Amino acid sequence: MKDNDRVSVLEVLDPARGNPGYWSRFRSTILEHAAFELARRREAARASVAAVLSGWSRSLIPVAAAAALIASIMIANETQQQPEPAPRLVLEDMLGGALGASSVQVSLGAGERSNTAAFIAFVEEDTR
Amino acid sequence: MRQRSDAELVAQARCGDREAFGELVRRYQRAAYSVALSVTGQHQDAEDAAQESFMVALQRLDDCRNADRFAGWLLAIVRNRSRNLIRRENLRSGDEIPASASSSGPGPDRMADISALRGRLKEALSTLTEVQREIVLLHDLEGWKHDEISERIGIPSGTVRSHLHFARKALRARLAGWKDHT
Repeated sequence: MKDNDRVSVLEVLDPARGNPGYWSRFRSTILEHAAFELARRREAARASVAAVLSGWSRSLIPVAAAAALIASIMIANETQQQPEPAPRLVLEDMLGGALGASSVQVSLGAGERSNTAAFIAFVEEDTR
Repeated sequence: MRQRSDAELVAQARCGDREAFGELVRRYQRAAYSVALSVTGQHQDAEDAAQESFMVALQRLDDCRNADRFAGWLLAIVRNRSRNLIRRENLRSGDEIPASASSSGPGPDRMADISALRGRLKEALSTLTEVQREIVLLHDLEGWKHDEISERIGIPSGTVRSHLHFARKALRARLAGWKDHT
C-alpha cells in the first residue's frame, strides 16, 4: 500500500499537534509515578544479589572447612608413612664395599694386612 | 551508540533502571495513546489509560515472559485498561480535544475548523470496529508498518492490510467534505 494512501487528516488527533512538549511531559508524568516502584525494584535487585552471595557462602564455608580437614588428615598420614632417609654413603665406604675386604687383603699380601702405608705405596706404584 | 533491544530494556527496568524504563515509555507512548484512543475515543481517557498502562506494565514486568514482544504485551494492557476505564466511567462527557492543543498554534477560524474536523473524525472513527480504529491509528498516525502492527497486536499481516483498507475507505466516505485534508 502506498504511503500517500495515508489518511493524513488523522494527524489532528495527535495531542502533540501545536504542543511540542506534550510527549516529554507525558513521559515525565509516568516516570514520576513510577519512581516508587523503580526504587522498590532496585532494592529488591540489591537484596537478591546479597541473598545469592550469602546463600553461596553458606554452602561454600562448610565445603571449604571439610576440604581443609581432609587435606590436613592426608598431610598427617603422609608424614607418618614417610620412610627413614637413606644413610649417606661416604666415598671410602663405597670403595670399600666395591672392592671387598678380600681384594685388599690379596693386594697387600698376608703379612701386610694392616699396613696402610704399604697399601698406599702399592696403589701408587700400580697407577704409575 | 547501539540501540538497546526491548528485551535488554525490560531486563534493566526489572532491576529498577529508571533510564531503561524511560526509554520503553519513549518508544511506545504514542502507540499506547493511539490504542487507548481507539478504544475510548476521548483524549483525556486515552491519556489516562495509556499512562496507567505503563504503570501496570512496570508492576507486572516479571509477567512479561517474552521480553522481545514487550510492545504487544504492553498494548494488550492498554486495550484492557481502556475498556475497564470505559466500563467504570461510562465515558466522561468531557471535551475530547486536547486542551493544550487548542491553546496555541492556529488562529480562531482555523481552530474552529480543526475542532469541527475532530468532531467529524470522532464520528467517522466510531463507525469502525475497535481493531480497525487501532490499526488505522497505529499505521496512519503513528507510522507503524504492517509487519510491526501484525507482530505487536498479534494478527496476520494480510488481515492488518485488509482492516486498514476498509478503515480508510470508511473514513474517506465519512470525511468526504474534508477531501482536501484526507
